Order: sequence, then structure tokens, then C-alpha cells
Amino acid sequence: MNQFDRQWRKLTTKAREAGHDLEAAAPRGFAAQVVARSAVAPTMPPWMPFEYFAWRGLAVAAAFGVVAVASNFTGWATSTQTDAFSAADTVGELLELS
Amino acid sequence: MADDSFDLVGCLERVRRSDQVACRQLVEHLYPLVIRIVRSHLPRRVAEEDLAQDIFLKMFTRLGQYQGSVPFPHWVSRIAVTTCIDQLRAQKRRPEFRWADLSETEAEVLDNVLTDERDTLPGDAMAARELVYKLLDQLKPDDRLVIQLLDLEQMTIAEISARTGWNQTLVKVRAFRARRKLQKLFQELEKKEKS
Repeated sequence: MNQFDRQWRKLTTKAREAGHDLEAAAPRGFAAQVVARSAVAPTMPPWMPFEYFAWRGLAVAAAFGVVAVASNFTGWATSTQTDAFSAADTVGELLELS
Repeated sequence: MADDSFDLVGCLERVRRSDQVACRQLVEHLYPLVIRIVRSHLPRRVAEEDLAQDIFLKMFTRLGQYQGSVPFPHWVSRIAVTTCIDQLRAQKRRPEFRWADLSETEAEVLDNVLTDERDTLPGDAMAARELVYKLLDQLKPDDRLVIQLLDLEQMTIAEISARTGWNQTLVKVRAFRARRKLQKLFQELEKKEKS
């Protein structure tokens, strides 16, 4: 056991001596208050977590889509520019030949 | 839970049929379990009653999702644990732990921990508990929870796994990570004390 383990064990052993607050019964009116609040709260149907994950999945898919379009768009722009230059060069070459 | 003769299955049936009396009985039956978790993991500046109410509200709104694959109190305790962790995440952690943040008795306990070679620690147990909570505040909520359950409530890895829903390897990893962070914290405090 290293020095830290010994120190931490000493401290937690002492802390446990303080114990817990033993009063654990619900205070008067607590249950009624919770039940009244839950009556107006909307219930979550069993498929709700799937809906939540579906929205997250959709967001992730959309982010991937944007990244894919952005990266490919750069490729298109570069290839278009290259084509324009090469076309100009071809014309130039033709003019020079004539 | 205090009342072992409580008919939980029957009560749940009646709760599902929107029986208000059964709902109140269920809250009263589960209150000791929930309040124990809340008191163990209560973030600063949050009233325990408010947090307990949130947990019970979640329990009622998600009741349709309960399939009975785990005992109902385990299912509720997982809701309680995740609600407490969410609250702990929401509050900002202190960037640095300082001697100046400690009360006189807490500082005395910490000084004894760092310098006293004896196996038993002299001093105030309440101050020791407060000091432990302040040190745990420096950890990530998930790591804090694991250490608290392991070292303060002396639960086994399997029991922690059942309460939190995390697998046992994850619990061990979190305990290891938390202890390493605490060790670093102790080393820094020792350095500050010597300087």
C-alpha cells in the first residue's frame, strides 16, 4: 500500500465515523406534492429514448453530409479551374500553331 | 426500505391505472432509498427535497419504459444516480483546491492526514467528512460517484454496477482514474504545505 492509499484510507475511515443522517421518512405532504406535479407532467412513452437517439443520429448524419459536400465542392472548384486553364492553353496552342 | 411487507407489484399495477393513493404509497415506500442516494451525492446549493422531487417525477413520467428486467428499486436508484450526476455536471467545478477554502477543523484534519504517521486519525469526524466531500468535488461526477460508493459507503464493485447500470470494468476504470486524480491532489497539497 503506497503513501496515498494509507492517507486516503485514514481519511475515509474517519469520515465514515460521522455516519449518515438517519431520518429518512418522507416529510408530510411530500408524496402528495410529487403526485400532483406528476399528474400535470407529460408521460414519456416507451419509444421516446429511440426518438431522442434518432434526432441525434439525424444531426450527426447532417453534419457528415455538410462535411462531405464541402470537401467535394473544393475538389469540383479546383477541377473546374484546372479545366478552364487547360482550355485556355489549348486555344493558345492552336493560335500559336496557326 | 423500511416496510418489507409492501406489495410493490400490486402497487405498480395500481399506479399504472393512475390510482393516486397508490402513487403516494409508492413515493413514501421508495423515499428512504431515494433520499439516501440524494444525500450521498448532493451537489452544492441544491436542496435535497427538490432533487428528490425531480427523481420521483422522472420515475412517474418514465414508468412506461420499465420492463421489469431489473428489480423496480434498482431501476429507480439508477434514475436517482443519473439525476444527481446531471446536477453535479451542471454545476461548475472549482478550478483549484486550496488550503484557504478549508475551515479550521478541516485544515487540521488534512494536516493530520498528511503528516501523522499513526493509522488512526485524531480529530473531528464531521470535519473529515466535509473534507472528503470537498476533495471529491474536484473529480468528474462519474468518478466521484464511484469513489464515494466504494470508499465511503463501502459497496462492492458488483453492487455499484447494479446501482449505476455501468459494467464492472467501467466501474474499476473510473475508480482507478479517480484515485489517480486524488493522489495528484494530495501531492500538490503536501507540496503547498511544505513550502
